[in-house]
Amino acid sequence: MSEAPRRSTRLNKNQEEDSKGKAKAVDQDVEMEETPDAAAAAGSKSTVLGEKELEALVIADIKQHFALFTKSAKTHEARFAIRALRSVSSLRKRLTAQALARTIASSYGKDDEARKRLLGYLGPDVLSSITPADEVAVTKLETPEVDVYLHLLVMIYLLDQGQLEKGIELSNITVHMVQELNRRSLDQLAAKVYFYYSRFYELTGRLEEIRPTLLNAQRTATLRRDDDTQSTLINLLLRNYFHYNLYDQADKLVSKTAFPENATNNQLARYMYYLGRIKAIQLEYTESHQCLLQAVRKAPQNNVTAGFQQEANKLLIIVQLLMGEIPERSLFRQPMLRKPLAPYFQITQAVRIGDLNKFQETLATHSATFNADKNYTLILRLRHNVIKTGIRMISLSYSRISLRDVCLKLHLDSEEDAEYIVAKAIRDGVIDATIDHEKGFMRSKENVDIYSTNEPQHAFHQRIGFCLKLHNDSVKAMRFPLKTVNQDAAEVEAARDQERNLVQEIAEADEDMDEDHGEL
Amino acid sequence: MAISEVKSLVQALSKEYNSPNPDLAKCGQYLSKLKIALIELQYLTHEDRHNNIEELTLARDVLEIGAQWSVRTKDIPSFERYMAQLQTYYNDHRDLPPSPLEYNLIGLNLLCLLSQNRISDFHTALEMIDPEQLHNNPAIQHPIKLEQSLMEGSYNRVWSSRSDVPSKEYLFFIDILMDTIRNEIASCSEKAYTSLPLKDAGTLLFFTNMEDILNFAQERNWKVNPAEQKAYFHSDADEKISIPADQIIKQTMFYARDMDRIV
Repeated sequence: MSEAPRRSTRLNKNQEEDSKGKAKAVDQDVEMEETPDAAAAAGSKSTVLGEKELEALVIADIKQHFALFTKSAKTHEARFAIRALRSVSSLRKRLTAQALARTIASSYGKDDEARKRLLGYLGPDVLSSITPADEVAVTKLETPEVDVYLHLLVMIYLLDQGQLEKGIELSNITVHMVQELNRRSLDQLAAKVYFYYSRFYELTGRLEEIRPTLLNAQRTATLRRDDDTQSTLINLLLRNYFHYNLYDQADKLVSKTAFPENATNNQLARYMYYLGRIKAIQLEYTESHQCLLQAVRKAPQNNVTAGFQQEANKLLIIVQLLMGEIPERSLFRQPMLRKPLAPYFQITQAVRIGDLNKFQETLATHSATFNADKNYTLILRLRHNVIKTGIRMISLSYSRISLRDVCLKLHLDSEEDAEYIVAKAIRDGVIDATIDHEKGFMRSKENVDIYSTNEPQHAFHQRIGFCLKLHNDSVKAMRFPLKTVNQDAAEVEAARDQERNLVQEIAEADEDMDEDHGEL
Repeated sequence: MAISEVKSLVQALSKEYNSPNPDLAKCGQYLSKLKIALIELQYLTHEDRHNNIEELTLARDVLEIGAQWSVRTKDIPSFERYMAQLQTYYNDHRDLPPSPLEYNLIGLNLLCLLSQNRISDFHTALEMIDPEQLHNNPAIQHPIKLEQSLMEGSYNRVWSSRSDVPSKEYLFFIDILMDTIRNEIASCSEKAYTSLPLKDAGTLLFFTNMEDILNFAQERNWKVNPAEQKAYFHSDADEKISIPADQIIKQTMFYARDMDRIV
């Protein structure tokens, strides 16, 4: 694979940046050659280039991906395929019907069924753009991967053009194709194909229909230990269930499947978000909090993922509040999050000061937003947190207060209510106090010294546990290139030979020594 | 059994059930007959009968009456079974004409979960309800308000919610709920008060006569002082704080093992 065409195609450097952010260390050896200066120079050049050249470059890019896929299939190395797929997002913005048509024309034989089909989906206008030169230079497809890749590109093109019905048809065909071809080198492509397949159905509101297909595919992928497809499919299924609010079924799916450990960060982030939501609904806030934190941290921090980060952060804020923690102020200041999180900020303020009236007001004004985010029921649960905070504030500031005053301060219905609520708060450990029923007041106990309890030890344990896990995870995440492993193996072999010789020599020497014993 | 026979059976059942004084045993017999008939019609595995709206509606009606009947006969497991079967009809067959009983039954189901203290199931079920109905339907709002009052500790409101139930089937579950609440209040009181006059304890726990109070006090192991008419709760101050040796040993071993791995 020569580097020359690859280098010259890097025109739209800005778009490339996005995918580059996600680039793993493996590919750094290639990516690092691109210096920012070169990129800027290339960027200015792109305005000079005409449409024709751009089209040619797109075709060259696709062709180069073909080579990568073929290489990946032949060497059984998934990373070449991953590299090609990673640059699809930048290619996507430059994709034109003409470029696709020309690539298709030059990739399939004239009577090939796939050629007719794909060109059919692109529309009749593109036929004119095919030059005879393309037809002459037909290179026979070496592997089915390239075939599937072309289908995928046409699918993406249809999605961008909003031709959903056509897209559904083509995605059905492609999914069928992927299922027929049982090749491990197809795994990464299959994951993408399923993703767009589900996307088409989602956009046309027919997500229900594909559930059986996805479940079947998920089962097959699990049996084949196909991590990429498996992780994509689990997420698609969860999304599918969530779309219809079927959290019960989503929870069952999660408990019956194991999310592959080697899944990519992006899939993991999605999965963690879904898991966090399920756990939040089931009132397991601590677990939910952990999952959501991971989701926020694993998600790539750039503008492309803004939507995901906003959603995850919204949920994270609610879960934190439900746990009795107050999210940090700086979270609401981030430029990307500030606006969408504004209603949540107001809720947070209401909870923080324990003002029930303000809470109800905010809830009423933003109920449409919360409903759209599907967070309304979760926020409703916060009501009793507001009361709890209110009681805690009162308990901290007064050593003795009448129940009537508590009732007035918290805007409760009656004194009896206040008594029950305070009693419950005492039982739940929110405050440390006693109630004098006859005289009708609540007396706070002295604060206990936290360092005389097991609390600090517990906190230390959590932190140590986290550090150890971090270390173990980073050891697991280390990757060594395959070649050197082979080399090492060869070296070890050689070393062993040497050792064997040495042992033999020593043994012989010993024998010699025995013979020559007299001389010593 | 042919579909026409099933239909006449359903009619007989709904007539019996909706009469002012239904014979519940007779309804039970009808229901078990109908269930067999429906199984013969494959009402649970109707993949190829997706479009047969009439049959599906019929099956749903039977299940709905069955669910209500279970509540009347105070058979909770049977109610849960009926609800589980009905979920399919409510969620996956949106093309059916909506049932007037749907939200009433969903509300009942919520209350059922609440009365068994299955809060996480309660919230999962809540998420499945259409937001529009969630805010406006009184049958749904009732259990939601109840849950809020429970979480806050406004037990007074739970008690008064008895008077404004959307349908009489709700009362059965609220009665179960009352027992749970009484225990909740008792456990709160034990922590919150050092002593409580018996009469006040009675009002707190919604008891009206002294005998019930005394029985309840005995059940919860309260020390009653007959002279003062007061109940004393044992305070937790004399509880000893034990050193969690076992736990600390385990944790230290865990650190040692991991440190070993690093070195």
